[in-house]
Amino acid sequence: MYGNTGKVIYINCSTGKTEIVSLDEDVYKNFIGGSGLAAKLFWDYADFDADPLSEKAVLILINGPLAGVPLSGTSRMSAVARSPLTGALAESSCGGYFPPQLRYAGYDGIIISGKCTVPSIIHIAHGSFNIVSSEELWGKTVGEAYVKIKEQYGERSRTLIIGPAGEHGVSYACILSDAHHAFGRCGLGAIMGSKNIKAIVIEPHKTIMKYFEEQKVKSLIKELTPRIKEYIISQVLHEFGSAGNLEGHMYTGDVPIKNWTSNFNEEMAEKLTGSTLTEKYLTKTGTCAYCVVACKRIVKVDEGPYSIPEGPGPEYETVAALGCLLGSSDLAAVCKAGRLCNEFGLDSISTGATIAWAMEAFEKGDLTEKDTGGITLRWGDMPTVIDTIIPSIARKEGPLGQLLSKGSRLAAKSINNNLIKYTAQSKGLEAPMHDPRGGGHGHALAYAVSPRGACHVSTAMHFMETGACNYPEIGFEFDLEALTDEKKPETMVLATAIGSIENSACFCQYADRSLTFAEMVGILNAVSGYHYSLQDALDAGWRIYHLKRLINHRFGLRACDDALTERMLEPARDGEPQGIMINFDGMIQRFYELMNMDNVEGVATVDTLHKYGLEQEAAIVWKKRK
Amino acid sequence: MGKYYKDTEELYTIYGYFLDNILKDPKIGSKLAKAGIVIKFVYTDPDAEITIDLKNPPKKEGYYGTFYLGKCDIEADVWSSQPADHSHRFWHGLENPIAGVAKGIIKQGGKVTAMLKLLPVIKPTFQQFPIALKEMGREDLIVTK
Repeated sequence: MYGNTGKVIYINCSTGKTEIVSLDEDVYKNFIGGSGLAAKLFWDYADFDADPLSEKAVLILINGPLAGVPLSGTSRMSAVARSPLTGALAESSCGGYFPPQLRYAGYDGIIISGKCTVPSIIHIAHGSFNIVSSEELWGKTVGEAYVKIKEQYGERSRTLIIGPAGEHGVSYACILSDAHHAFGRCGLGAIMGSKNIKAIVIEPHKTIMKYFEEQKVKSLIKELTPRIKEYIISQVLHEFGSAGNLEGHMYTGDVPIKNWTSNFNEEMAEKLTGSTLTEKYLTKTGTCAYCVVACKRIVKVDEGPYSIPEGPGPEYETVAALGCLLGSSDLAAVCKAGRLCNEFGLDSISTGATIAWAMEAFEKGDLTEKDTGGITLRWGDMPTVIDTIIPSIARKEGPLGQLLSKGSRLAAKSINNNLIKYTAQSKGLEAPMHDPRGGGHGHALAYAVSPRGACHVSTAMHFMETGACNYPEIGFEFDLEALTDEKKPETMVLATAIGSIENSACFCQYADRSLTFAEMVGILNAVSGYHYSLQDALDAGWRIYHLKRLINHRFGLRACDDALTERMLEPARDGEPQGIMINFDGMIQRFYELMNMDNVEGVATVDTLHKYGLEQEAAIVWKKRK
Repeated sequence: MGKYYKDTEELYTIYGYFLDNILKDPKIGSKLAKAGIVIKFVYTDPDAEITIDLKNPPKKEGYYGTFYLGKCDIEADVWSSQPADHSHRFWHGLENPIAGVAKGIIKQGGKVTAMLKLLPVIKPTFQQFPIALKEMGREDLIVTK
């Protein structure tokens, strides 16, 4: 086997049983790796009746086939489980330095089931892996635990750690890699916490990888690296971070403000954009393994109420979710709120979105001090957000902490079903910080049909709609007008496959933007020997997409769950997209037709599933239906 | 030759008039000046070169920057090269510059990030460009969707 090792660690935390699962080459070729392979293993290993935080639930982490290759944006992995936030398939992707070390250690991934009797860590070193009791780490923040682990296992060890939010089962707790990079979405940190696993630690291993075509891989790395570095998007990311274009996004109406009630704020555009962050607080840039883009921010706020020591800084989603969405243009406060989310192990998008929902509900009188435990919620009140709300969510403390720890959809439901109208989510996953009403109507479709819920990285639509990529070799060579539905369903069909490939091959969606589709497939073939034609790769992408939808079907989701909330579809009140309606129903209907999906069941027809080799899976889902 | 400009002189006449308006506009000009850079636009079909100096003190009173039509010796911080027709449509707000780069229509170099920061600032000028054409009696060059 090339690229991949063919070996996945299996650990049952309840019994202490550990084994190495060997996988056939065909499984890799059919499901690529990363998110796709994890979904396939989830299908095989999951108990579909299990509560996401129960002992029976599984958490699966799988490397991309390219993890460990010294090429920008390829050393990533995906995690898959059932989400405690949505009840649907959870998935999240993460870069950093853990994935290549896992590959060099000889493994492609880890399947975790059961529950340890005491707080523990999973330790991987020199051909062995085991569960080690680590009660002393429980209750510590991510940063504190990170320091302790480094002291014990060495400076060069790599880590996946949860914070107090994961320990307390907050529905949107995340997993931090080396206290900076995050499996941010869907509450995977809560699942790790429910298994009493505080951290996964891997010690450094010798860099060994076998490529299918050694020389070709080397020449591709040589050819692609300067192109990736010089690409315009990479330059912006390097200099200003992922918030580099916040200002530009603001003028298109892409940035949601005050819980999606506004699409324009000039002051926020100037004060929160990436160049301001660079100018005021950046101390140095950070990066994932082998990446020349280096989009990560290391920041320090020297003085004032929001001073923080040098450490990980906010990326775009965090800036918008903890700034614009909460009605604040105080960048220092955003840095501090973002840092708190990291330390507690909270997804900053869902944190910001859920607080923003609560602020609006409070303003309208639908949420009262009785619900909040006497806490007053006001737009832009960052001292309360930082000192009270975020810590109380992370520890599920008090009425407000308990309420908001459920995420916006469940919090709204628990007060009054009518309050769902001003949540911004799909399938229960809070939408990221790109408002389809201004950013592009295709985003609305992408959010709705993404298996994990409102997500801008499940598919390539975000970048295709904004013109950042161009794939004539697979028929995408037309310009898209952002604020119309024209050609969006057709684009979405391709975007679905490309997104699946990106998340399964684990290409970083920033670093791969300057690559042609043929080059993406080319590097995959040269490393792993998959022998994909372009069509084979697209088919693998669609196979994975359909499999994920079958998983969701087994969790009870149907076509009607491919929906957006009232707030996300009402005409924008200001800014560039003011008054424009999204033809959401038309787009989704056409997408279903093009994908041969049943418009009630929400999964592909039997014939379509057979076309992608999902006969057994189709039999289970469609037989159950009959 | 491209679709819109019959020769370099015609291009200079139109861009000269337009830039003269923009660089003395208090709202737009003042924001442009904050960039503090020298930008060079290189056009093909017809071949032309325009330099906008937002770094050095403006040569004319009441202006926020200086522009030069044709080759000039001022060192540019950033340059952008594209067909003149593409630029003409861009100034009407009809071309996505990111897509232009992705498709290889636009080539750029230097402090590209500084130039990108100007995109929101110049957005209001997309309405002014057709107005400038009309004022010059060149309605024939106004492009609609």
